[in-house]
Amino acid sequence: MLNRKFIAGIIVFGSLWGFAECIIGSLLRDVNLPAGAIMTGVFAIGLMTLSRITFRQPGMQTGIGLVAGALRFFNPFGGCFVCSAIAIMAEGLLFDLIWTRFSLDQKTTWTRTLQVSLGITTAYLVYVGGYIVTQILTPLFSSAGFYVENIIVFIPQILASGLLAALLGVATIPAMFALKNAQIRMQDRLYYPVTIGVSAFCWVFVILNTLLIMWI
Amino acid sequence: MGKDRLLPLLALSILFIASSSSLYVYATQTTTDAMLINGQHYTINQLFALAKHRVSNDSQYTGIALDDLMVKTGISHPEQYQYSLKGADGYEKTVTWQNMKNGLLTMNRESVFSDLPKAFRVKDIVSIEVK
Repeated sequence: MLNRKFIAGIIVFGSLWGFAECIIGSLLRDVNLPAGAIMTGVFAIGLMTLSRITFRQPGMQTGIGLVAGALRFFNPFGGCFVCSAIAIMAEGLLFDLIWTRFSLDQKTTWTRTLQVSLGITTAYLVYVGGYIVTQILTPLFSSAGFYVENIIVFIPQILASGLLAALLGVATIPAMFALKNAQIRMQDRLYYPVTIGVSAFCWVFVILNTLLIMWI
Repeated sequence: MGKDRLLPLLALSILFIASSSSLYVYATQTTTDAMLINGQHYTINQLFALAKHRVSNDSQYTGIALDDLMVKTGISHPEQYQYSLKGADGYEKTVTWQNMKNGLLTMNRESVFSDLPKAFRVKDIVSIEVK
């Protein structure tokens, strides 16, 4: 039963993240805002933190990243969608590795200083890590190939671009802890209908949006 | 060192690295109207007068053909080389001759390749290095 709940949790959190990337991310790009850093610093870190402190299960965020990345593939608009999908999957894995490496699941007391520090650290490392991974993997999957000098000369820009994500993480992670502490609970009989319904809505909306854009 | 001390220290280090990098990027940003191709400086108007025009496969972009541009700027046996396109912000991508044959340079000095992902769209190109 726990495993089914866990898998349903992966699907719903991943679908929400993918939906945000495809719809809100596209809107942010259209108005020339730094969509990558905002999406990671707010939506990715927010959803992954909430899922982690709720389920306390290593591996969950890797799964969430895979679901969200897969949904991004269904929306081939707004920037480099291959890069976005790869970055999303890498961000899920990196978040998982950071929480597991620092054994954060065992920690029970989270002061505001620790929450803010965690926000800066995870948002920055996840964003910068995802950026580097996509800069390596996207050329590898293309006919141009990967050249290490291309990434070395761009490292200062990548390190600088993570600053906004880190600053957004300052607010996002404490907000997720506050949400968890609010003890909002869903009745068991509603859990599956709600998770399936929300996930289905996200996927149908993104696919219909893609078809609509292609048709126009 | 416990996590209670390690995490704030790590966060401060990250803020320092990100802020220093931002200052470095701002200080080293290039602003030029000229484009350096194979050791020679050109304006975008000169390049547009030099090479033949090309439209992207999806008809969304127009510009000059990158392969023809390389030939017209004096590169012999262009198929033997690779080409590094560098933007004013330091973003750089290296492509093959085959990619150049499917690429164009827009009036806004942006590269568009019909056979490569959007990650290869280098904006505000300041140089094309022949390697």
